[in-house]
Amino acid sequence: MCHQTVSLAARHLEENGIPTVIMGCAKDIVEYCGVPRFLFSDFPLGNSAGRPFDVESQRVTLELALRVLESAPVARTTVQSPLRWRDDASWKLDFSDLSTLTPEEIAERRKEFEVVKAVAKTKREEA
Amino acid sequence: MTFAAEHDIPIPYMQRTRDYYQALGFAPYRWAHFADVPFAPLRAPLAQARVALITTAAPYQPGVGDQGPGAKYNAAAKFYKVYSDSTEAIPDLRISHVGYDRVHTTAEDSRTWFPLARLQEAVKAGRIGALAPRFHGAPTNRSHRVTTETDAPELLRRCREDGADVAVLVPS
Repeated sequence: MCHQTVSLAARHLEENGIPTVIMGCAKDIVEYCGVPRFLFSDFPLGNSAGRPFDVESQRVTLELALRVLESAPVARTTVQSPLRWRDDASWKLDFSDLSTLTPEEIAERRKEFEVVKAVAKTKREEA
Repeated sequence: MTFAAEHDIPIPYMQRTRDYYQALGFAPYRWAHFADVPFAPLRAPLAQARVALITTAAPYQPGVGDQGPGAKYNAAAKFYKVYSDSTEAIPDLRISHVGYDRVHTTAEDSRTWFPLARLQEAVKAGRIGALAPRFHGAPTNRSHRVTTETDAPELLRRCREDGADVAVLVPS
């Protein structure tokens, strides 16, 4: 939900006169919501600001985001970072890949998710 | 001429998530979707602007389980109210409470989802005018209504209080 949360927040800031840029990795979620300015890195979720232990890639990513912020001509401007996670794109097949799971594993995941939901509900109600 | 692999496209997260939870037996989630998009033009060059940083990462909370690199999804580490902290030091933020890619990233380097150090450099280099005194944490709520009606207005209020001219938002 991270990408949706910041998309909704960016929209609210813009409606109230504060220009924004989102740095993110989930292109479909951000564009489906609709935001003014978006720097997309085609990296695994969790790396919106560049590669781990690669300060130069983090620097390039921030600089691109700042350039999008200052130069986007209209809303829904997405710029894709030229950086690649790796040459082989097969990592993209693994996220929430059901094809490798047995029915027992799916049942187990369902149970785990029920537990997670219950914990989140308790936390939410306490907040 | 060699084409790229067919799967070498941005991951369709909405479809994957829909299929995944449907297989687990849950109702499909309705993602936020708008036809109109607001756009606020920059009022001053970035070299004169005060920049706000907004993150979805959570402050480390002792006693609520593993939040370290590679920790399983930890709902107990979630937060439900906007928080703020100083941009002068690097805080201990974690992302065990969200669905990052646990197969292909380890969450060992917080700079990959929280660019405060890089923004501090940008201030020193004169690329941006200043950082707002605080960064802000946005709760990752499944409810669009809570995000839109409670959390987003609170983020706006804090950005204004800090005199922020622009905002950089970074999901984790």
